[in-house]
Amino acid sequence: MKNLILSIIAFTMAFLTISCNHGSKNEQSSNNTAVLPQDQTVSQPKEVGTTGEKAVRETANGPESTVKQPVKSFSIAAIITDYLSLKNALVSDDDKAAASAGKKLFATLDNVDMTVIHADKHKKYMDIAEDAKEHAEHISENAGNIHHQREHLAVLSNDLQDLIDLFGTSQILYQDYCPMFNDGEGAVWFSENKAVKNPYYGSKMMTCGKVERTINGK
Amino acid sequence: MTGLAIALLILQFFQPSLNRSDELSAAHIENVYVLPENVKAILVQSCYDCHSNNTRYPWYSRIQPGAWFMAKHIQHGKAEVNFSDFGEYSVRRRRSKFRAMSGQIKNGEMPLWSYTLMHHHAVLSTEDKHILMDWFGRMEDSIK
Repeated sequence: MKNLILSIIAFTMAFLTISCNHGSKNEQSSNNTAVLPQDQTVSQPKEVGTTGEKAVRETANGPESTVKQPVKSFSIAAIITDYLSLKNALVSDDDKAAASAGKKLFATLDNVDMTVIHADKHKKYMDIAEDAKEHAEHISENAGNIHHQREHLAVLSNDLQDLIDLFGTSQILYQDYCPMFNDGEGAVWFSENKAVKNPYYGSKMMTCGKVERTINGK
Repeated sequence: MTGLAIALLILQFFQPSLNRSDELSAAHIENVYVLPENVKAILVQSCYDCHSNNTRYPWYSRIQPGAWFMAKHIQHGKAEVNFSDFGEYSVRRRRSKFRAMSGQIKNGEMPLWSYTLMHHHAVLSTEDKHILMDWFGRMEDSIK
């Protein structure tokens, strides 16, 4: 009896410490995520301001005086590559591959060097990327629920469409349309191949859909 | 047995902090959009407890270790969507949220079954679901 009581107390104390640790960790991480968007929106304009000033100062001092914007140009090629492997995973009905592709896409979006994006496009890019990251994250967390992953692909594809319109692409892409998805509301997706392979239904309706637009790489 | 009772008693003194605020924030969805009364009533009844900065705690939710589970639900819920901060989301994200919320309800994924197990008041009737999905859908379309 004494042993039983002791072990119950030990168990409860262990549970208590584990739960407490867990709780505080989570609080920290949720605080971080809560603070992040604010930080970004607050700090972005400042960064733009400072790089702008630097550029002006450099041009004043330097012999060549044409550089006003970041030298390196921004490309969404890496984002498109990750999107395509995510799309292809869903074409093959592979929820696990889709989850890891989603994770990769999230990391790519998260690691974008904002200083190489033209100042005029910062705000628009941030707006799209914040949303796209959320969809990529949900896809990465939903192995086992391919329907849910596909729902997020539909909105993610809209985000990609806006990114392509904003920055262009060096790769030839086909914008496809599936009229059935989301109770007949329809959904677009992007493909590297002209042949239609539907990521929203996979093997169930592989060739359902049509090419709406060909985006010529430049 | 007395050991367990004592341990549980001690546990009651370790309470997670409460998720409560008395005033409606400026970014609260009710300050950003005009909500039909029936929509608002359902959100209060079934959603705000985990998806806003103000939880109405039922008495049993304060009994440990249950209070920890409740705190966890609230933490996760607010990370996904927080109606108290809705106005701070970009238009694009609001649209995404309206669409996702509608989908979650249609698929029966929200409210979580593991939550309604203890909190029956949050269960949505078929009519409630239709009212919410209809409004979420209209909101998604209207802010395109």
